[in-house]
Amino acid sequence: MEKTAFRRIAPGAAVLAALLVFPHFVKGSFPMHVMIMTFMFAMLGVAWNLLGGYAAMFSFGQAAFFGIGAYTSTILLMYYNVNPWIGLFAGGALAALTGAAIGIPCSNLRGHYFAIASIAFAEIVRIQFNNWKFVAAAEGLSLPLLPASLRNFMFHTTKAPYYYIMLAFLALSLLLCRYVSTNRMGFYLRAVKESHEVAKGMGISFVRYRLYAIMISAFLTAMAGTFYAQYILYIDPESVLILPISVQIVLVAMLGGAGTILGPVIGAAILVPLSEYTRVWLGYKGTGLDMMIYGALIMLISAYQPKGVWGMLTSIGKRAK
Amino acid sequence: MQGKKTRWLTYAMALVFSLSMVSAGVAADKEIRIGAVYPLTGNLASTGLDCLHGAELAVDIINGKYPDLSLPLAKTAGLPNLGGAKIKLITADTKGEPRNGQAEAERLVTQEKVVGMIGAYQSAVTKTASQATERLRIPYVCSDSSSPTLTERGLKYFFRVSPHDAGFARDQLQFLKDIEKARGVKIRTIAVLYENTEFGSNVGKQVLALAPEYGFKVVADISYTANATDVTSEVGRLIRANPDVLMHASYITDAILFTKTFKEMGFHPKGLLTFAGYIEPGYLPAVKADANGIIVRSTFALDLAKSKPLVAKVNALFKKKYGIDMSENAARSFGAPFVIADAINRAKTTEAEAVVKALLATNIPGSELIYPWKGIQFDPKSHQNVYARGILVQIQNQKYVTVWPFESAAAKVIWPFPAWAGRK
Amino acid sequence: MYEQLAQQIVNGLLIGFLYSLIAIGLTMIWGVMNIINFAHGDFLMLGMFISFWLYTLYGLDPLFSIPICAGALFLLGLLIYRFLVSKVMTGPGLAQLVVTFGVSIFIANAAVYFWTPDFRMIQNPLLSGTWTLGAVDLSIPKAIASAGSVVVSFLVFLFLRKTKTGKAILATEMNRDSALLMGINTERVNALSFGIGSALVGIAGAFLSMYYYIYPQVGGTFGLISFCIVALGGFGSIEGAFVAGILIGIVQTLGGYFFDPAYKYAIVFAMYLVTVWIRPQGLLGW
Repeated sequence: MEKTAFRRIAPGAAVLAALLVFPHFVKGSFPMHVMIMTFMFAMLGVAWNLLGGYAAMFSFGQAAFFGIGAYTSTILLMYYNVNPWIGLFAGGALAALTGAAIGIPCSNLRGHYFAIASIAFAEIVRIQFNNWKFVAAAEGLSLPLLPASLRNFMFHTTKAPYYYIMLAFLALSLLLCRYVSTNRMGFYLRAVKESHEVAKGMGISFVRYRLYAIMISAFLTAMAGTFYAQYILYIDPESVLILPISVQIVLVAMLGGAGTILGPVIGAAILVPLSEYTRVWLGYKGTGLDMMIYGALIMLISAYQPKGVWGMLTSIGKRAK
Repeated sequence: MQGKKTRWLTYAMALVFSLSMVSAGVAADKEIRIGAVYPLTGNLASTGLDCLHGAELAVDIINGKYPDLSLPLAKTAGLPNLGGAKIKLITADTKGEPRNGQAEAERLVTQEKVVGMIGAYQSAVTKTASQATERLRIPYVCSDSSSPTLTERGLKYFFRVSPHDAGFARDQLQFLKDIEKARGVKIRTIAVLYENTEFGSNVGKQVLALAPEYGFKVVADISYTANATDVTSEVGRLIRANPDVLMHASYITDAILFTKTFKEMGFHPKGLLTFAGYIEPGYLPAVKADANGIIVRSTFALDLAKSKPLVAKVNALFKKKYGIDMSENAARSFGAPFVIADAINRAKTTEAEAVVKALLATNIPGSELIYPWKGIQFDPKSHQNVYARGILVQIQNQKYVTVWPFESAAAKVIWPFPAWAGRK
Repeated sequence: MYEQLAQQIVNGLLIGFLYSLIAIGLTMIWGVMNIINFAHGDFLMLGMFISFWLYTLYGLDPLFSIPICAGALFLLGLLIYRFLVSKVMTGPGLAQLVVTFGVSIFIANAAVYFWTPDFRMIQNPLLSGTWTLGAVDLSIPKAIASAGSVVVSFLVFLFLRKTKTGKAILATEMNRDSALLMGINTERVNALSFGIGSALVGIAGAFLSMYYYIYPQVGGTFGLISFCIVALGGFGSIEGAFVAGILIGIVQTLGGYFFDPAYKYAIVFAMYLVTVWIRPQGLLGW
């Protein structure tokens, strides 16, 4: 009995320990950057999963929440001198409210209609920011360089603090996702996913839980947005609000395995390093070969391993038993 | 319940993944590694490659012996003060995204051990890339991004050789004043048309701010969505405003579409003054005779060869290597490697502080440039080349011809804009 | 303000008819298989490139390469259905959404690999120039493309209503299970509709290549707008896509003219959102 428990925890603990000591062994900034981006997309994938994985609301508009998070904290910092950590929560709250505002009219949309509506919504947000003088429109915002400290959420000479912050964010999202999925809310969401008709019988509560899911997802996505702004120190609509970001988030969740807690993490751990390193190895020639490989991989995995890599691993595990 | 194997497989994957990240970049002794970041895939790939070709040719010239070229470091192989060390260009793809600009700049510095950086083309990407080199204390010489904000940031390691959009906007307006005087015409109204990404909005802002100073009335201020499927409503607005002169800032896709739509709807101002997209290599082959009469801001034109034989020689080399004539983009990117190599050569070291000091003391005379400038010297505060200026070229018989400033013009400017009908 | 109203409405119609033709191909695939083909814009790009190469290498005018574009895209559609899409038909809904994303990224970058990212344009096709009808200037290639769009849409409409295969496609679209019970080979119907849908966008590509620039990413905006058109018209509804395409063309053009060009696509997206809010199944969906 105890041995089983150990076996269950050991691999997870080992991975976590390896991740915790990683910055002490790898000094190059690029591997660190790849890891940070991996964590960030894993977190975004986990947030998406609450919508798409559990409730079958396939959102292709997560970039809107990401951008709202990035812009809110940055505007607060630049114009009103508000600490980015407070900005982080302000951005999250604003994104959650926006999510609710768009989620109420869209809650009766299903499947592809929801997907297209989310694209339309995110594009409207992007176009608005791109023309909005208050947020410097297309010129974008360069964050003021403050002294490096945890309080300022800004570090200049090392990436390690960014690494640990993002890892903590990811852990937080995973715990939240786990909590939701084992909770009554997870049950309701899955019920909606299985059958709209049955869920309708449950009355108003399913709309309410769908709304909760959108709000939590938007909040987490906006947190990652604030992180991005503090990490890159420059944001513009072209880098935080565009459709390819939303698509990347969906791909991460789907390839890893939608509807599973760890799926998006696996997806990010494959896709992000793949796209970063193929760019490094092949992209400099400008032939498009790197993206060809990326595209081929996506289409082959989704056609031949539609349950994602996590699903594939699980079935291998089952067969081995 | 997942199987035991699964868990260990995950673990193994995590391990392999971590190991794969540790890749080493070892630099050889006798080479000086310079990073070059450009958008080599995506929407701007065509432009990015063009820029890269310019920079590559410059490196060839620095590294080889070209006794008949009056360019800096051309006559000797490599950098004489560093024992003939060769420049090696390490290229990286940004995909046109600011976050990749930062990541690639950091990777090139920390892993590929580059000692200097050039490129980026898009101002937004140059912003993040140069911010990264600033933090890592590596000199960055840019000769292809034109946003005025880049040299307003007070960065210590960032230098710009080429003119910026505020300068370009002034050139265009000054040209209008000059043509009024030279031809005895009166220009009253202008329309400003610009795409709404960072580049276009910046140009729009500059023109709008400067136009009253030159005594022109802005009758239309139109910002539009880049990569549009159809621009008839934009052109409709222009026809409604009926300006004497149109100033248009766009990338290549919109430049092609607008030219076609101007013709189709018969929009015919007295002058068509444009930026950027109209001078990219893909533009002229795509629209041919419909482009005749359009005036574009530039830093370079092949006909500068008339007063500068150097231009023809460099273009011959470019054509030999890439099979096409040197474009404005390639020519602009051609400048940065010389500036950085010259500074390293004078500093006799690649150590950043010494190179920055040498860059500040840069004094390359106009005779050693393919641009029509007095030379290259950096403003001690902003690090902008004080002699950088634009020229205006006009498309005449499907060739770019220098028409302004009038003293270095290769041909007389055709004014007003010729009729659309009967073009061949 | 209003002196150009007629001209702008005509322009809106011209782009609208083209949108319709692009969207009809998408709506067929969508309606029959309940799959969004995110590579639709890239198929359009392929159609344009095929037309371009036929013109450049063999001097064949885009007008005559229409059947070749249609045929080539039909085959490509069949292949993609057979080897990729059919694999996800019974799988999780998300895999169906994502598989075509992979195809899209792959095709766009294969185009970069083989044909470089350069911009091309077909010079002096047979159809070029402008007709002036009173106060309205009419671009000849755009007008012919619009006429082509109407003809092709009508033919598709007839095909679905009058032929046995067409009826089988419609039946599958309405109810897959019943169609199966009635002895319709739904697998064949799927493959056929994917092929026809792709062929239609190939035709649109040939028309578009007469007056639009061509490069590997050209399909992006067209693809995005065609999703909105299809959803606005109602998934699977040919008539819906036709009407919605024209509607969006006009809204986009008049919105740009009277309101602000920088927001013209925002207006289109907002119109879509408002419509599905009021009528979740789209204009002519069921």
